[in-house]
Amino acid sequence: MDPTTLIGPSSPLGYPAPYWFIVALKVLGFTLHMVPMHLWYTGILLAMLLYWRGGEEARRLSRRLTWPMPIVIALGINFGIVPLLFTQVAYYKVFYPATILMAWPWVSIIALLALAYSGVYIFVAGLRSEETPLARWRQAVGWITAALFLLIGFFFSNAFSLMTNVRAWPDLWLHKSIGGAPLGTALNTGDPTLWPRWLMMLALALTTTAAFIVVDAQWFASREGAEYRAVARRIAFGISTLGVLGFAITGSWYVFGTWPEDLRAEMLRSPWRVLMGLTAISPGVPWLLILWQWRRGGTRARAAATALAQSLVLAFNAISRQIVQNAELRPFLDVTTEPVHIQWSPLFLFLLLFTLGLGLIAWMLSKLQASAKTSESG
Amino acid sequence: MHYPWWYIPFLTSPMLIAIIAVLHVLIAHYAVGGGLFLAVETQYAYRQNHREYLAYLREHARFFILITVVYGAITGIGIWWTIGVASPLATQTLIHIFVFGWAMEYVFFVLEIVSAFIFFYFWGRLDPKTHMRVGWIYAGSAWMSLVIITGITAFMLNSGRWPEDRTFWAGFLNPQFVPQVLARTGGAFLLASLYVYLHATFKAKDPTLRDLIAARSARPALLGSILITLGGIGWYLTLPESSRAALAVASTLNILVVLLFAITIAVFFMLYLGPYRNPGWLSPGFALLFFTFGLAAITTGEYIREAVRKPYIIYNVVLGNQIYAEKVPELRRRGYLEGGTWTKAWVSHHYPQVVNNGRIDPARLLMLPEDDQVKLGEVLFLYHCNNCHAGQRGFSAVGQLLRGWTPEMVRTVVRHPERAHFFMPPWAGTPEEAELLTKYLLRIALPRPGGMYLGDGQ
Repeated sequence: MDPTTLIGPSSPLGYPAPYWFIVALKVLGFTLHMVPMHLWYTGILLAMLLYWRGGEEARRLSRRLTWPMPIVIALGINFGIVPLLFTQVAYYKVFYPATILMAWPWVSIIALLALAYSGVYIFVAGLRSEETPLARWRQAVGWITAALFLLIGFFFSNAFSLMTNVRAWPDLWLHKSIGGAPLGTALNTGDPTLWPRWLMMLALALTTTAAFIVVDAQWFASREGAEYRAVARRIAFGISTLGVLGFAITGSWYVFGTWPEDLRAEMLRSPWRVLMGLTAISPGVPWLLILWQWRRGGTRARAAATALAQSLVLAFNAISRQIVQNAELRPFLDVTTEPVHIQWSPLFLFLLLFTLGLGLIAWMLSKLQASAKTSESG
Repeated sequence: MHYPWWYIPFLTSPMLIAIIAVLHVLIAHYAVGGGLFLAVETQYAYRQNHREYLAYLREHARFFILITVVYGAITGIGIWWTIGVASPLATQTLIHIFVFGWAMEYVFFVLEIVSAFIFFYFWGRLDPKTHMRVGWIYAGSAWMSLVIITGITAFMLNSGRWPEDRTFWAGFLNPQFVPQVLARTGGAFLLASLYVYLHATFKAKDPTLRDLIAARSARPALLGSILITLGGIGWYLTLPESSRAALAVASTLNILVVLLFAITIAVFFMLYLGPYRNPGWLSPGFALLFFTFGLAAITTGEYIREAVRKPYIIYNVVLGNQIYAEKVPELRRRGYLEGGTWTKAWVSHHYPQVVNNGRIDPARLLMLPEDDQVKLGEVLFLYHCNNCHAGQRGFSAVGQLLRGWTPEMVRTVVRHPERAHFFMPPWAGTPEEAELLTKYLLRIALPRPGGMYLGDGQ
């Protein structure tokens, strides 16, 4: 069966904004989403490992990683709405079929997330007292929560790799359907790109968590001693090294081991060659900064530079993923040629509200800062 | 028709939406009303310098965040997740019309999250004036997110002028918009008070404080009741004619409407006699009963709101079986199997002999062996009917509904379902395809139940 026949017609409504605008918001949203998502993706697992095997300072770090998780998850879920929304605007022809083919795992993400989020609260509640050790059952909940987040990530990788793996649709559909209606039980595990993609995100998440640890140690851990900060930087360096190595291995596996020849040739040709190069080497910059801080001591400026460098790593990654996504889809679909009917007034109203919203958030944060200064001076 | 149809045995995939949607509605209304409760009451407690009440409100804010931020956000996204796989064409259409509506709602979501966390986690660290302002930012953002999403969901029930001028505002400012905003705002007030009663009876140990909470929360609840009534009347008056007719004709809906009225009246009386006149009556049992009644009323109301939309997902735009209403004549001409992206691929793959010059030839369908015709009938059933009907067993199963029907009765209804019941979508295929579906339905129809004495022994 020709998989192209499974791609439906264009929406008569067209895009409500130019493609570049939609895709820019999608990429920006995904970059923002990756920050908190990475923290819960590997942060819980690392917190469990540090609590399980670490010494006193490592346990303190475990606590510091876990305490903000309820807020991090809430923000991450909300930031995730943006890329998903704009994916559905521009990639609806492939997004819906892919998620319908694997509807049960896809829908189960909601239940898994509810369980994992509850698990985080249970785990965090157990860490309130520094003197009392974490009860065993709470530790068990922590491990289960970490596993649930990994499973959620696996399902996400399945959905987004299946979205571009149109060639696999006929087989998955014909083998798992009744009367032409999918049972929704398929997974994209036959796709060689799935595994490196999933693991690459995991490795990248380690580098984000490492950056978070040094930022937290320098900016927010004012009540902790110098020894804690030194241990945090050392552990962050270990995590970052693991992440960078993992990223290099899985990235090479993904590009050189799973991409078709024509895709690789396209992506390694100008102008994308520069972007690919930056994406590949950029995780080295925060790694070097963390190494520097481990060896020479941390400062707020160095930690801020690490955060900035890691943000660029994530931005390069999101842009590259976008380019690759379009290139993978090109044999089946060109998302840039859809008709456009711009909704000017809702678009401007959104931008206005967005600006006002940012202003309000900035005002609230400024009040927090003022209250922190007052309590410090008091 | 542009997308594959997700088959869920017994339940049917749209029912999955209903389950998640009801869960979300019960939390989302509290997220709005509870935010207003916290803003108003924190302001009151600060002004009165009522420390015990402030301590209680802080405790309530913890409970509120846990319920709304965690489960509210997850079930909200859950609805979106589920509609995408259960009603993909309707979701695609809504997203293309209202993407900036959702984007605006997203701005308010982020404001909600940030202000909620600051409100709770920085309690006691912010000066009262700033703290109250943050509470009001939350309350305002939460209400705005209700307004925006209501514009979109109300559009699904009455698309107003949109089919003619197809602009965002024509869809958003639909006839159902204001009544539903009123009703939902009222629902948020009422439900929040019920959550407060439930929480306070367990957490506020001091009887004086509990009485204060009961008395103060009774006013927004009664205001909510008035708004629900006004919104409900407006909702009814702006219903499309077919929706009003559906309310009158469907026996399940009759029962649910009576149930809704009965529960709502009971809640009003309980509110007035209990927390408003006799705050001391509020006990955990009373609050629990009250809360259950409130949940039952809202769940029933939501079910009715959804059910009266049939046969549409988006009124006059997208039919329940995932086709544009305007495409029905074309599908009748070309054929349902030919018109659907996935149905055509399925037929072409399994029965290439019915394809002529790249198109499915309806006449050739009836030349296939009987069993193959039945198999194609099953495809038609799943893609045309499974949105509302399970097969032989399950939700509104046709196998049960057709007990004892003659082939001619089945054939007639298949060819003109919208004439048999105005809340069913029209047949959107060729006469040959209608015959295939008839054969399938007759194959799964159960026999007339035995043992029924009808006087003449027939």
